Amino acid sequence: MQLSKYPQLVQNMILNNMEYSDLFIFSFVSKKTKKLIESSPRMKRFKSVNTIRYEHHYDRTMVSIPFHQFHDNMLQIIESDDAENDTFQLNVCGKLFDFGIIYDGNKYYPVAFSQADNSLIAAIHDYLLDFFGNSVEYYWHALDCRKPIPQLQNISACFNLAFANSILDMGRFENFISSSPVLKFIDMYIENTTAPFSPESKFYQAEHIDTYQFEPTLPDTLRHFKGRQAFLEYLRCNIHDVIELVNKWKSGEAFNKLEVIEVKISVDFNQNEIMHAIGAKHIDHAKKPPTHTLPKVYRDIAFDEEPNTDPITSYTYVVRETDSRVASVLVHDRTFNFGVWDKTEDEFLRIMD
Amino acid sequence: MSSTEQGTSSAAPAEPTTAPESAAAPEVPESFYYVHGKDKVVHKVSAGALQHSALIHGMISNLGYTEEQAKANPFPFENIDGDILQMVVDWCNQHKGKPTPPEDTNLPKQKEKLFDLVLAVNYLEIKELLTYCCKQVAMMVKGKSPEEIREIWMIPTDAEDEAAEKEAKKRAGKEAAGETAAAAGDAK
Repeated sequence: MQLSKYPQLVQNMILNNMEYSDLFIFSFVSKKTKKLIESSPRMKRFKSVNTIRYEHHYDRTMVSIPFHQFHDNMLQIIESDDAENDTFQLNVCGKLFDFGIIYDGNKYYPVAFSQADNSLIAAIHDYLLDFFGNSVEYYWHALDCRKPIPQLQNISACFNLAFANSILDMGRFENFISSSPVLKFIDMYIENTTAPFSPESKFYQAEHIDTYQFEPTLPDTLRHFKGRQAFLEYLRCNIHDVIELVNKWKSGEAFNKLEVIEVKISVDFNQNEIMHAIGAKHIDHAKKPPTHTLPKVYRDIAFDEEPNTDPITSYTYVVRETDSRVASVLVHDRTFNFGVWDKTEDEFLRIMD
Repeated sequence: MSSTEQGTSSAAPAEPTTAPESAAAPEVPESFYYVHGKDKVVHKVSAGALQHSALIHGMISNLGYTEEQAKANPFPFENIDGDILQMVVDWCNQHKGKPTPPEDTNLPKQKEKLFDLVLAVNYLEIKELLTYCCKQVAMMVKGKSPEEIREIWMIPTDAEDEAAEKEAKKRAGKEAAGETAAAAGDAK
């Protein structure tokens, strides 16, 4: 069976029916096969919309493609000196590495064996950049803080940590976070830490933070956040921290990049106290207030179907003194929402005319 | 399964056996057409079954043949092996008037047969069967190393590709030189 004897249309249909893990291996067969894949309609479609996800945990990195409700595993990278017997070598961007094929989760996919250094990761990333192109989004998800996220071209660094019933080792964590690129996304659930977070920690520079935490100061995102979007759920929280956040934003003293913040607690907020303390302004009740929503900085397209932040529709707002920018404020039962508009107060009020 | 008899030629086809009909007898008598492959074995196939093939459907849609005319003028597909055409006819009969299932597990497992079937189905423009076949071809390399894939799909190495390219260039050069010489000869 000679693939090249098939007409182009048939070759493309065959490629269409191959999984990405098979296409990855197929791309190593020859220069021509790589070109065939790269010029196929399937690859062109992929390049226009998709993302590649690296998920690192312990000594393994899974490279996958997120699709609706699942991550399609394309390749696994294992830090191991002893490659299994049935391996073969592939030239990845000029360097030879050991590969094998494993059957896991009802599918076959290649596995690459690497030393503890990042040479294989870097070579594979370069290969994928060349193979899938620059328009594809590349995310690195660290599921623990054993090894810093490598500095790779076009990588968005993410940190997902579910650390229930344990204490986070702050020394290790700070080493991880300070050696990693600035994080795009953090999703964290921790109960306690061995030491407080440093106010200067790179943790607070993350563009998007999503946490569920027992102690409101571990981490103290309400005071030190420097990113764009935060979704915080606390067992308990001091209302004055929320008030201070708004007032610091109003004065232009901090939170300059903030776009949206949501704080959820286990008891009701005192709405009147907050509104009074932040000097909230009110929209005429005869008018319909505008709804604030923004594209999420990050979402896992496989499992998070909502591309935008939760809508905030509120009659109350505050104005930043330095540039007259407006933020909608909504306090409802146990939730506090704060959404910054890309509009001055005049522009904001004109929306309702 | 349809059964067939060995024909003598496309111009004088042997009396073919009839392809199986669907369980319910149609109210309007169905029209039949005749096809044969490289082996000249003629297959009688209903117009309903042939609808799967965009190529044949296009050919017959305006013919208005009588039964006798159709029998006397079987469609010759000399580029398709007899056993492959038989597979295609069987598939068309089995799936006549039915929605095609998401998978078809009855495709040939031998890669050369599958290869020929793909070419035939592509030529005859049978979209659903082509999709199944391409799926099956893609399945052949699942979990294989690059060297194994090279073997299964007979893909040349880079060195072989380069050598072939050089050879083709050399041949093209020679042909061009020959044409120039011939043109010069003509001019004289």
